[in-house]
Order: sequence, then C-alpha cells, then structure tokens
Amino acid sequence: MLELKDIKKSYKIGPIELEVLKGISLFIDKGELLSIMGPSGCGKSTLMNIIGLLDKPTSGSYLISNNQISYTDDDKLSNIRNRKIGFVFQNYHLLPKLNALDNVSIPLIYRGDKKQERRRKSLDFLKKVDMHTRAYHRPSELSGGQQQRVAIARALVGNPSIILADEPTGALDTKIGDEIMNLFKKLNKDESITIIIITHDPNIAKECSRVVYMKDGLIHDHKI
Amino acid sequence: MIIKSNIKEAFRSLYSSKQRTILALIGIIIGIGAVISMVSIGKIVQNESLKGFKALGTDILTIQNNYSPQKNPSSNKSDIRLKDILYIPSQCDAIEKVSPFIVSGDSVSFKGKKIESGSIIGVTESYFEISKVKISKGRAISDLDKYYNFCVLGNNIYEKVSKIQIDNIIGEKIKIGRNIFIIIGFAEKKPLGVFSFFDINESVFIEINRFMRMGNKGEISNITAKIKPGVDQITAKSQIIDYFKKLTKANNSVNILNPEEIIAQMEKQMQLYTLFLGAIGSISLLVGGVGVMNVMLVSVTERSKEIGLRRALGARRKDIRGQFLVEAITLSIIGGIFGIILGVGISFIIAYFVKWDFLISYNAIALGVIVSSAVGIFFGLYPAHQASKLDPIVTLRTG
Ligand SMILES: Nc1ncnc2c1ncn2[C@@H]1O[C@H](COP(=O)(O)OP(=O)(O)OP(=O)(O)O)[C@@H](O)[C@H]1O
Ligand SMILES: [Mg+2]
Repeated sequence: MLELKDIKKSYKIGPIELEVLKGISLFIDKGELLSIMGPSGCGKSTLMNIIGLLDKPTSGSYLISNNQISYTDDDKLSNIRNRKIGFVFQNYHLLPKLNALDNVSIPLIYRGDKKQERRRKSLDFLKKVDMHTRAYHRPSELSGGQQQRVAIARALVGNPSIILADEPTGALDTKIGDEIMNLFKKLNKDESITIIIITHDPNIAKECSRVVYMKDGLIHDHKI
Repeated sequence: MIIKSNIKEAFRSLYSSKQRTILALIGIIIGIGAVISMVSIGKIVQNESLKGFKALGTDILTIQNNYSPQKNPSSNKSDIRLKDILYIPSQCDAIEKVSPFIVSGDSVSFKGKKIESGSIIGVTESYFEISKVKISKGRAISDLDKYYNFCVLGNNIYEKVSKIQIDNIIGEKIKIGRNIFIIIGFAEKKPLGVFSFFDINESVFIEINRFMRMGNKGEISNITAKIKPGVDQITAKSQIIDYFKKLTKANNSVNILNPEEIIAQMEKQMQLYTLFLGAIGSISLLVGGVGVMNVMLVSVTERSKEIGLRRALGARRKDIRGQFLVEAITLSIIGGIFGIILGVGISFIIAYFVKWDFLISYNAIALGVIVSSAVGIFFGLYPAHQASKLDPIVTLRTG
C-alpha cells in the first residue's frame, strides 16, 4: 500500500549539504501496525513527514496504493492528506481557540462537508475516542491524554487509510500512553487502518506487528 | 460552506486579537469616513448650488443683451428698444411673457435721511411674476404706472425705512435721485438669485418707462422670458435668437441662458468636483489599507503554526489564501460600515451648521461598501498570499 524506493533527503545549510535520509526503501502493507524506532536525530520525523506528504524527498520515488506521487501538484497532495492520511503529533497541535468538536471537524471543512454533516461525524468520532462528553471544551480545559484523544478523533474523522503518529505518547505518562496505544491497536484491528508510530518506548514498539529500526538516515534492522 | 466557515473563523480571529483589530479598524473608519464625508458634502453643495437654478423654474429664459451699435457699425439701428422687446410674445409663439428690466444706482432718501440702497430697477408689470418677487403689503408696479412716480421697496429697504417711520409706510414719499416717489408696496424677502448681479432686497422698483425718463437712460440689458407651458426650451431659445437676428441684423446680439442646460453643465462640473474630493479622502483610506495589511501580516506570522496544521489536515494553498482574504475583507467591511456612519454623521453636522439641506448620498454609501471591500481585497491579498506560501513542515516543526 505504501512503497518507498531509495528515498533520500538532504538539507543544504550554507555550503554544507547534510544528508538526513540516505536511501530508505520500505514497503508497508495495508493494515500493518508499524513502529519506527531509532536514536534522536536519525531522521524518523523526516521520514514520517515524507510519508505524510508534508515534505518532499530530494530523490527517490514514493507510491501510495500503487500511484506514484507527483510533487508538482500541490492541491493534489493536500487532497491526499485530507482523505487518506491522519496525523497525530507529539504535542497534539490542537487549535487553542476552537473547542474539541470544532478541532475535530477541521479536515471535513476542506472536503466541503456541510456544517450539520461535520458536526455529526465529529461527534461520532469523539464518541469513538470516548471524548464526546468534552465536545465543547477547549484544549486548555483538557488533560494531555484527553487532548491526544481529541487529536486522534481529528485524525480519524476523514476515514483515512493511514494514520501517522509521531511520538504520540511522548508527552504522556505510561498509563495514559498505554490507553492511547490500546486505542491504536483497536482501530488497527477493527477497521484495519494502517498505523505508523514513531516511538522511543520499547513497550509501545512491542505491541506493534513490525518494528523498523533506523540509524543515521538508514534502515538498520527489522523486527516482526 | 468554506466561505461561511471562513467568515466565522475571521470573526473569531479578529475578536481574539481585539486591540490589533481595533487599531486597524480605526484606520479604515477614518479612511472610509473621509471619503464618504467628502462625497456627501460634495453632493450637498451640489444640491445647494443647483437649488437656485431649480427655483428659477425651467420655464424661464434669461436673455442678455450683447447688442451695442458701436460694436456693429454695419447696423444702422441704435439700440434694442423697449418696444421691440415687448413685441417678443406676439412674434415668438413659444413665449408667453417677457420681463425687460434696467438696473442702475441712485441716491435714496426718506424724510431727509439718506438710505443705503443697492439698485434702482425699472420693471414692467410682468417682472414680479416672472422673477417670483412676492409683494407682502400694498401692490406691485403695474404697466399703467408709466406716468406716475410710484415705487415698490425691496425688503431690506423697507426695513431701513421702517426704522425711520414705523407705521403707514405705504403712501409715504421717498426721494429717488431728484424725484419724489410714492411708496405703493414692498416685497417679501428673497434669497439672492443665481443670475442676478443685484440683490432684490436692496432694490427699489419703478415702472420701466418712468425709469427711462429719469435721465440716466441705461440700456435694457436684461430680459427674462416665460415659456408657454408645454413648449421646450430649445424651441423657445431659437425663436428668440431668430427674432433678434431679424431685428438687429447681427448674429449674436443676444445671449440666452437656459437653466436646464446650465443645470446639466453644472451637475457635470460638480461631479468632477465630488470625484476630486473623494480622491482626497482616498489618501487617508490608503493609510487605513496599509493598517489592514500590517495587521494581517502580523496575524499570518502569529498563526503560522495554525496554517501549517490546516495544511497538514488537507487545506489547499487557496483555502489558506481564502481564509486570510476573507479575514481582511471582513475587517475592512466592518471598518467600512462604521466609516459610512462616521462620514454621513460628519456631513450631517457640517450641513447643520452651515444651514444647508442635508441629504444622504446613497451613491456614497454604495461607494463606501465597494471601496472598503476593495481595500480589503487589495491589502489582504499580499498577506494572504504570504500565508498560502508557508511550508507546513517548517511551521509545524517550529511549533
Ligand atoms: N529543516 C531542516 N533543516 C536542516 N536540518 C534539518 C531540518 N529538519 C531536520 N533536520 C536535521 O535532520 C536530522 C533528522 O531530524 P529528525 O527530526 O528527522 O530526527 P528524529 O529522528 O525525528 O529525532 P527525534 O527522535 O529527536 O525526534 C537532524 O539532524 C536535524 O537536525
Ligand atoms: Mg522526531
């Protein structure tokens, strides 16, 4: 379903060219629950951003559902992000001025859903992450774990086939982290959503069907 | 739907940074206020200056006598005579009545006291009707007064006279030049006319033939003519021109001012003038627009993380551009609405104190709305474009 072929990414800082990804090839099948581990600075987030179409590689090719990604059509990339991919960030990235419900419905605005429709779907997904009782709370009125649940509802609301989570439990304690992980496992199992999680926590990685270890811009090891 | 949620979002965002919003609003309010007040004052002035012409009535022509035998040596006629003028209605079937009159100055005194006066005017009976001079007491000059020393006083002269003698002015004697006249009536106060180069209120009226026998034989330089009902001004005008051409054998012996033409011409000029005032107002609007741009640029910088997030969640560049553009336009239109209120208020206050007729110019209001949205678009476009160019990955990372 996702296929990365010899993906390279380098940044030019002054005269120096810094190669962050040095040729990543990776195939991720539909319905996988995959985690990416590796030391800080090895390029995990960079890879994730390329997978999520937030960034483009310096070279290499990338296919989603056997379709070659073209980086020239920005609207099309937005559309794929909107319909196929859900993001979960370490620091939640909820808009502080909007309540939980409005935060969850943001992706639906950009696909042109009507207000009633957005409301209904958003409430559904808030219920799914057990946050419907906090629909009208603003992020500042929620705990970290609750905020991350709202963020997961937002990632799910557009029915994506892939969820990308960059250290989703990084800011949460172990107990809440486990709850979030259980939520991902349930989504993966019940709805066969492909989930990719970047983590530093071996306990989280242990729960995944596959672990990719990265080191210094390369895939270093696989564990199934 | 995206527009609707954009507008809602714009209000939320503008409300959440109140101070900045208010500062930008002040700029726009002053700018639009300046344009609107300038344009409405222009309109009020226009109305005010045309009022005189419109009061004249569109059935009146003013004929100015350019004819002088010295300038036309080929002609053997000495001058346009009163008799010729009085023939006009019988020769031109478009004309109902004519009112020739002569204006000159002379000393006036009442009971031995000198009275400051403007003019002595020789008139026919028709003068009072055509020039719309109403008699408030006594009677007007009649064509039968040819051989009598009768006079009618303008309102200011009457007031001066009544300071000397309060009651029973009618029938009293008044000295004009070396002649004694009898006051037979006095006129109501009348605002200074548009074509008149003298103030009716400061004048004394006597019968035109009597006037001409007083020695200071002024030429009949002014004639007003009343057009018959249903006849248009152009026909009337050409008949009179033809009549005088035949009479004097000269081509441009008279110059005819027709109010309709003048009103149209003046309106055109006034519009230009209003446009000019509007342009001056626009300078402050420019400043207001720059204020909007500034606020929007700050807003874009401040909300870069939000922009990155929205892009990650599927917003296209044009969605982001639209969001910020709508915000800029919303800001400008809110400012525009208050600016219109301010502008109309200012023109009302000015009109009130200068005692002009106040009127609301709907064109100015429409202009305000259009211009403020245009300002929003123009000055919002650049910040919105900047916002849409932001790289989602950079903005998310800095968060
Ligand atoms: N915009 C950029 N310009 C230059 N260098 C960058 C940029 N973004 C990332 N890098 C570099 O790329 C390398 C990989 O960064 P990345 O964020 O992918 O690491 P990571 O594996 O996610 O680390 P962590 O576990 O700490 O999140 C780092 O050395 C970083 O300095
Ligand atoms: Mg990272």
